[in-house]
Amino acid sequence: MTSVYLEGVQMKRESKSFIDSLYAILTAADLFSGPKYMLSGLSGMAFKFSVHEQLWFMSVSAYGEWGTVHQPAVDNLGLFTSYDGGRNRHPTFRYYQQDAVQWIKASLDQGIGVIYWIPEFGVIHGYDDEDEIFWVQNGVNAGSQVVLYDNLGINSTPFWYVQMVGGKVEVPVEVAILEAIRMAIDDWDTDHILSNASVATGRMAYTFLIRALNLESFDEKGAVYILRSYQYSRSEIRDFLQEACLHLGGLQEALSSYDQLNEIVVPVQTYMIMQDGHRKIDRRRIPELVEILIQATALEEEAMRVFRHISSQYPDPIRSTVPRWGKHTPR
Amino acid sequence: MKTHILEGLHMKSESMSYIDALHAIVDYQGWNKKSKAMLSGMTVTGFRFTVNRNLFEESSTAYNWMAENLLAADFIGITASQQAGFSFSATFPLYQAYAVQSMKDSIDQQRGSIIWKDQFVIVTGYDDEQQSLYYSDGNMPGLQRLSYAEFGRNDAPYWYFQVLEEQIELDEIGIYQESLMQAIYKWETHDPMLPSSEYACGRAAYEAMIVALESGVYDHVGVQRVIQDYAASKRDIGIYMSQLSRQWTELHPASLHYQYVSDNFEKMALVVQELNFENHLAVRIKSVEEELTQHLMKAAYHEELAVQALKEYMQERVVNRAQDIGLR
Repeated sequence: MTSVYLEGVQMKRESKSFIDSLYAILTAADLFSGPKYMLSGLSGMAFKFSVHEQLWFMSVSAYGEWGTVHQPAVDNLGLFTSYDGGRNRHPTFRYYQQDAVQWIKASLDQGIGVIYWIPEFGVIHGYDDEDEIFWVQNGVNAGSQVVLYDNLGINSTPFWYVQMVGGKVEVPVEVAILEAIRMAIDDWDTDHILSNASVATGRMAYTFLIRALNLESFDEKGAVYILRSYQYSRSEIRDFLQEACLHLGGLQEALSSYDQLNEIVVPVQTYMIMQDGHRKIDRRRIPELVEILIQATALEEEAMRVFRHISSQYPDPIRSTVPRWGKHTPR
Repeated sequence: MKTHILEGLHMKSESMSYIDALHAIVDYQGWNKKSKAMLSGMTVTGFRFTVNRNLFEESSTAYNWMAENLLAADFIGITASQQAGFSFSATFPLYQAYAVQSMKDSIDQQRGSIIWKDQFVIVTGYDDEQQSLYYSDGNMPGLQRLSYAEFGRNDAPYWYFQVLEEQIELDEIGIYQESLMQAIYKWETHDPMLPSSEYACGRAAYEAMIVALESGVYDHVGVQRVIQDYAASKRDIGIYMSQLSRQWTELHPASLHYQYVSDNFEKMALVVQELNFENHLAVRIKSVEEELTQHLMKAAYHEELAVQALKEYMQERVVNRAQDIGLR
């Protein structure tokens, strides 16, 4: 084919940009049915919580090495996936870029959109060989942006990333839920991402967030984004657990923790004020906000205790086998 | 229904690592006519030194295949596609079908590929009628058959394949310099994929081997394999460094130290070859363990000095990239 434009792909920013992208391409291709919070929960992505010490805007997507995180996330949905990415200054970049142009087009020919780092994550939902362009949605602006084949992967960050999905096998929902809560525990227990000790994850992310707020030393835009994303994902977790309770025993107590957590974090938006046309954290209310976050940490710690108890009742071949992939220093 | 076998493509076990597989393909393609020793250094593969603390056989292959085998190819300007996973995963059949198709396509383009078949081996052909791949493992003469359905089902639950695609011209001097940077990094850094309670890397691997031998708590089959695998790596690196020191005389001291490391490992390889745990008396085993420990201590001493010499030589780069080894 010389051009494809997938009308059915409609990305909408609500969750993490990766989940919004994944949801858009999967629902358009009939590879996932169900609400977005189930996708976010089952992939383990809802639980990801990462915070840069200065509350930079990038925190929300800096939950780990993407390939290492996204591969198991998509795998847990029973989907085939393949990705490429890296530093766009490496000498082999041009080759991988042109190779990606080919496999992205092949995926679009099959009617499946592709996840693409703009930044943040968005979807490629069409191409045109005549103009040598891709159509890209970011979920915020209406309509699509254009990316030239030869500019694929070149952006304001030093890295590029593209991920496609393919065939599907059925994974019993209780199996997927069990793996999702194990991914949640992994994230909770990991202090910081490998490539940058300034970005904390899980339990430590709360510590970083609270510290930056207390010191009143943080990026304004980033702080607002982190808190809004945090609040949204915690509501996703609650909704996910509500359904998960129907399939896997023992989750009721964790649901109750997340219910309470949601009650206290829903008003987080009211701790922000509009100033010079921008939303900012209301500095006078930081002590209250910090108090909420301290309570939230304890509630989430309690939920993790429940997850651990459930997890210990079933064998875990994935975590009891040392892998031959996964964590590595970017080189 | 098609059969396609690449004539003349074979693997030979010499470097006892991924290098045997990579070299076979790179050489067959004519991308690179370097020796295995040179490839071992240029790709950084030979500088890797990781042991399981029980000295299990898996030691020399207990590393991040996805990250490091891709980099190995990348360092010499060869692009690749690869995937890996657990064969017990629900999604494995999807990947198995994809892997087989990728390797067949690669064969149709006259290129072999690398898979894990209880070790790294090369796929040199396929036969649709037999629903099988053909591979060369470097030990058995000729080719062996692996049915499509058996691809990825190994003794350990890992499957892996890598298809090598194209060659990009790189500055050779840049490749050598980068390999030395990475060698320093490998010596000093623990592989984050491996639990440090069970594995040791680089400098720490020597200590772990010595502790195991002194305590007598280690795998008796594994120890022979570990020493033989690393004797091959250290030999390759010794040759590599001596080649480089011809070009850069400043590298001569480092090269000499690597030579000593290689010599000590060669002696160890001879010692373990003779060792028979079932028939030898405890006292004889003890004396062999002591002999191995002596060689290890000498090798550790020289490798430390070799890396110090590299660090001096590469000082500026090492400092510039202290926070980010990926800056190249």
